Amino acid sequence: PLPPKLGRPSELPPEPGPGYEGDEEFLRRLHHVLLELEVLEGSLQCPDSGRRFPISRGVPNLLLSEDEA
Amino acid sequence: AVARTPSRRPGMAEAEGDAGLEQGLGPAAEGAELAAVIGATVPTGFEQTAAEEVQEKLGSASRISRDRGKIYFEVPARSLPQVHRLRSVDNLFVVVQEFKDYQFKENKEEALKDLEDLVKKLPWTDPLKVWELNNSLKKKKTKRKKHNLQSPASREKPSDGGEEGGADQSTTNDQDCAQNSVAVEPTGGQDTENPQGVMARNGVEKEEEEEDNEPPDVKGEVQADSESGTKAGDGQTGEEEAKVLKFRVTCNRAGDKHSFASNEAARDFGGAVQEHFQWKADMTNFDVEVLLNIHNNEVVVGIALTEESLHRRNITHFGPTTLRSTLAYGMLRLCDPQPTDIIVDPMCGTGAIPIEGAAEWPCCYHIAGDNSPQAVKRAANNICSLLRKNESKDSSTALGVPLDVIQWDICSLPLRTGSVDIVVTDMPFGKRIGSKKKNWDLYPACLMEMGRICTPGTGRAVLLTQDKKCFAKALSRVGHIWRRAQTVWVNVGGLHAAVYLLRRTWERAEERRSFW
Repeated sequence: PLPPKLGRPSELPPEPGPGYEGDEEFLRRLHHVLLELEVLEGSLQCPDSGRRFPISRGVPNLLLSEDEA
Repeated sequence: AVARTPSRRPGMAEAEGDAGLEQGLGPAAEGAELAAVIGATVPTGFEQTAAEEVQEKLGSASRISRDRGKIYFEVPARSLPQVHRLRSVDNLFVVVQEFKDYQFKENKEEALKDLEDLVKKLPWTDPLKVWELNNSLKKKKTKRKKHNLQSPASREKPSDGGEEGGADQSTTNDQDCAQNSVAVEPTGGQDTENPQGVMARNGVEKEEEEEDNEPPDVKGEVQADSESGTKAGDGQTGEEEAKVLKFRVTCNRAGDKHSFASNEAARDFGGAVQEHFQWKADMTNFDVEVLLNIHNNEVVVGIALTEESLHRRNITHFGPTTLRSTLAYGMLRLCDPQPTDIIVDPMCGTGAIPIEGAAEWPCCYHIAGDNSPQAVKRAANNICSLLRKNESKDSSTALGVPLDVIQWDICSLPLRTGSVDIVVTDMPFGKRIGSKKKNWDLYPACLMEMGRICTPGTGRAVLLTQDKKCFAKALSRVGHIWRRAQTVWVNVGGLHAAVYLLRRTWERAEERRSFW
């Protein structure tokens, strides 16, 4: 099954809000994104550097290149 | 036969699923009521861990024998399905008799004659009932598997038997671990090559794979043919064909005071077994495998309940150094995973450890990583196989597995400082992967990085390595982060290795990297 595009603004807020531990609706959505969705093809982006790391067949490649290390 | 509903007992989970065990199985139903003394072979060094699993899942206490790599416990025979589901056990057998202090004659002929004479004095009846019950268990699974696949099982399986056990024997002075059969003249005439007999064995091979996720089929019908009926030594009537059982004897001998070799003991003991039961000797297509284990003055006679070792159960894609699942399980148990723990294997190879972890500790989250693209691909494939196994149960969505695979560099892990509860891994030995020289640099760097990601105070690591010198040196350099809590000496593919349980100190690691 194709996973939907992740990180849609309507699905999850950018940060957990105050008292998120008790917000069941939020927790369900978070659980879904964390444990029930699998990115098969895509990328992860580092929030600091902006560097993108590819995800291929479900496996992210987080190896740094020679000059990055 | 009377069908009985097995009563629930503490320590016995899932009893009702196994009710089908006793219905309509005839003589085998009596076997279910028996108390069986089970012997289990486990990875050397993990006897205690295995005993804990037995206590937890079966409610029985275990004895750990001096013959390393074996534990003994008593369970009602109806618990056999749960016994087969133990994850720390390589092979199982039912004990016929144990001799704590057997006096061997010094003269070879006399010593061997004593063993021959022993056969008719042994209490075979009940253990054979247990063996038969165990057989009927396997057949149910064979039939179910055949229904699922609709393909005739016709593969020839090379028998593995004693060789596996042999690799695990501690290297004592004088030791015979050869797997032996009886070199006996075939009894004249009747060579009824019963194809059903062969099927049972192939069925077992498949059974080993399916074991962990198929619940016993309560509706399993009884086969009308003769296989399940014949008992050696009993004048069994009422069957279409009286099937003669085929057997072999496997002898493991360790100790430097014996006057005979294991193959001689197997030969003579086997001869007496053949006399006594009128079974037919067969090295490869046997029904009954009689075990004769001799460790100094400790002698145990048993009947095998497993044919192929359980230790590769989760892995369909092998790599050059795939760790056996029973060892992976033992290592994981050692670090006592708690629900919600994050467990990381930063050098996962084919993923044996995280896969075992996700299967047995589904309330933890498991992360598998490796720098090698081949390793990562194999690990991902193994996980897919696991997912597919889960899928066959439910028609709709497959249950996910709390496990992810990432390609990464162990010296630069993309994980936040102090975010991981457990690090568990099989460190490169330098013989089959990498080199000893590389280990000198790799080990300290690994330990530092593993120390960084691990939660101070509560975190722990379980690390398997053969390069003990290098490891000890590396450990001495990171004493401010890791302290050694326990060491288990193990045998991995004939190599002497060690499993170190380390505890993370309370000292916080420096935040030296801003990249992540």
